[in-house]
Amino acid sequence: MSGWDSDSMSLKLTRRRMLALGAGMTAGAFAGLHAHHAFAALKLDVTQGNVQPMPIALPDFVGGSPADSEVSRNVTGVITNNLRRSGLFAPIDPQAYIEKVSNPDAVPRFPDWRAINAQALVTGRVTRQPDGRLKAEFRLWDVFAGQQQAGQQYFTTPDNWRRIGHIISDAIYERLTGEKGYFDTRVVFIDESGPKERRIKRLTIMDQDGANVRYLTRGDELVLTPRFSPSTQEITYMAFGQGDPRVLLLNIETGQREVVGNFPGMTFAPRFSPDGQRVIMSLQQGSNANLFVMDLRSKAVSRLTQTPAIDTAPSYSPDGTRICFESDRGGSQQIYVMSASGGNAQRISFGEGTYSTPVWSPRGDTIAFTKQGGGRFGIGIMRTDGSGERLLTDGFHNEGPTFAPNGRVLMFFRDPGGNSGPSLFTIDITGRNEQRVPTPSFASDPAWSPLLS
Amino acid sequence: MRTGTTISAAAHVGVLLWAVLVFDVKPLENAGVESIPVDFVSATEFSKMTEGVRNAQKKEAPKPLVEKQGEKKPVMEQVEKLTEKQEIVTPKEATPPPPTPEPKKAEPKVEPAPKPEKAEQKNPEPKVDPIAEALKKEEKQKKPEEKPTEAKTAEAKPVPLPQKKPPQKPQPKFDPAQVAALLDKRDPQRHAATGDVVNRTASLGAPGANSPELSQSELDALRARLMQLWNPPIGIRNAGDMVIRVRVLLRPDGTLAGPPSVLTSGRGPMFESARDSAVRAIFRGQPFDMLKPQTYETWKDIEVTFDPRDMLFRG
Repeated sequence: MSGWDSDSMSLKLTRRRMLALGAGMTAGAFAGLHAHHAFAALKLDVTQGNVQPMPIALPDFVGGSPADSEVSRNVTGVITNNLRRSGLFAPIDPQAYIEKVSNPDAVPRFPDWRAINAQALVTGRVTRQPDGRLKAEFRLWDVFAGQQQAGQQYFTTPDNWRRIGHIISDAIYERLTGEKGYFDTRVVFIDESGPKERRIKRLTIMDQDGANVRYLTRGDELVLTPRFSPSTQEITYMAFGQGDPRVLLLNIETGQREVVGNFPGMTFAPRFSPDGQRVIMSLQQGSNANLFVMDLRSKAVSRLTQTPAIDTAPSYSPDGTRICFESDRGGSQQIYVMSASGGNAQRISFGEGTYSTPVWSPRGDTIAFTKQGGGRFGIGIMRTDGSGERLLTDGFHNEGPTFAPNGRVLMFFRDPGGNSGPSLFTIDITGRNEQRVPTPSFASDPAWSPLLS
Repeated sequence: MRTGTTISAAAHVGVLLWAVLVFDVKPLENAGVESIPVDFVSATEFSKMTEGVRNAQKKEAPKPLVEKQGEKKPVMEQVEKLTEKQEIVTPKEATPPPPTPEPKKAEPKVEPAPKPEKAEQKNPEPKVDPIAEALKKEEKQKKPEEKPTEAKTAEAKPVPLPQKKPPQKPQPKFDPAQVAALLDKRDPQRHAATGDVVNRTASLGAPGANSPELSQSELDALRARLMQLWNPPIGIRNAGDMVIRVRVLLRPDGTLAGPPSVLTSGRGPMFESARDSAVRAIFRGQPFDMLKPQTYETWKDIEVTFDPRDMLFRG
């Protein structure tokens, strides 16, 4: 019995200890909870900010050898120009730089950059590899937090240095704004040259910043409304050749052209589906026009609308399930949305005036359009249900919006009237930062490509 | 049965502890949170503050006074005071013991009152003048010099100072170090003199109680500063969902005590850019000199919520 007692005693002791321990832990837990309640004595809500371009310092990239220093400078120039044009960044005048960056891998002297109010700093280097390729590397520094935010390196052929600049610009843009960039893209548009009564219109392609202009047609026929394939290096556009105007398909790399479909009447206003496998367009039938879609591989055609009205300018939603288009079925040109397979269309534009050329944002959240009223043409956006309509720009003639691949910027053309001609502009979807796009001569009908990489 | 009692005892202890911890402190906090102090500010002052304080003339006399007090509050202050005095008197050897005791007196409100009186009676009239004279005349200095040093130590110890003086006088040696100590003595006196001013904010040490509280104008000025510097990525999709909470620990001079800690968790480039914009605003905002040092207890730990909801497009 005594042995059992002692056993139970020891058991009890341990239990008691455990209980004490448990109690202690309970108290501790409550104390911790209490401490949690106590912290952050003061709470503050900041619900308004001050949106302004972020000051960024872009010292010239370091060249691996003296011969590379020119390329390095040029790459830096491309990046600086891209970021400035985006309107979200304010590159700082290099004259103001205090620290001279000689080793882009070393941690910069942040106080020197804070002193000139730089919030971000980009350092980099361009070197020629033994195999002849260029190696470009960069580091993005947060000046106030004093740490590196991003760093990448790329290899390319020497004549591709502009693209390197665009790709690095995209990386910086994405890290600082949280969104994919749009600098490594191209724009196809209609180049207009010659006097007003004898304009020569050529299908033209260039980098998004106006460099590397290349003419895709000779100018012997009238071309209109080029559209980029979202997934391939192809363009679809409308051309007035012999006979009826037709929708054509052009491969940029090979120059190969083909007519889309074999229709008994004029086809116009073509646009690719998001997967690039189909082209949707209008087909004229008497005084009416209806929407058709053609599968580029099977050549199968299906009809989407059948109305005694003009349905045109169709544009897919990025997920390919819906279509927005313009129609005068209600009496005046308005924007309608319907399923990508046809069916009932729902009108979404109800403002004063008429609406045309709707384009669905690659983000999927908004639709851009041209709005006409009171003798003025404006570019605006609205949500896909028609709410939240806003005009971004307004004037004598603005038309033909096209979205950058990140859905953040719109390009359109503006014609001031008179004897001059149209030119291209970009504007942020917030309505800020309107920028003219440099083109060799007059330009209209821009279409933005997807990201090249 | 015994296990039962132990369990119940342990549980009771736990509950009691919990009750003590929770009920003891909460009411104080609540009192602090509920009251809203109000400042009367002229229109020009207000506009200056909300402008972002670039032009505001904010450096006033009270600041230095409060800084000293702020250091006195915690028990650990002893070390800090030493460093202060050393800085002031650096060339000469400071005698550490006198300053350290003072803080202890400062904490209780009752004690400071008697001190200044004594200091005024003893030090200013008879001691100071003799010291200056003594410095010039080396021989006579020995005796008076010793007195003041003793007096300092005496200050540290509460009341009995006057009685001790006579016995300590006899010390004969003269060291330059002790002369320095004599000169040093005047600093503590000045500290004592500030004591009167100090008393106004003597209750600073208690976070919840009667300490001065952050006024609405200070809060607005702080908010205005952050609004001015916050450059949120509002163009991104779902920008309204990018609410970032940041905890900021500040020093009494309004600078960051450490990098701000982000309380909101998230992933992806959009979150990162929203987070960085909030953190950058705080980095750029320091020093937050619109916050008065008197109210340091209320703003040393701030949780800022950056919410772009008022900036988005409506329609």
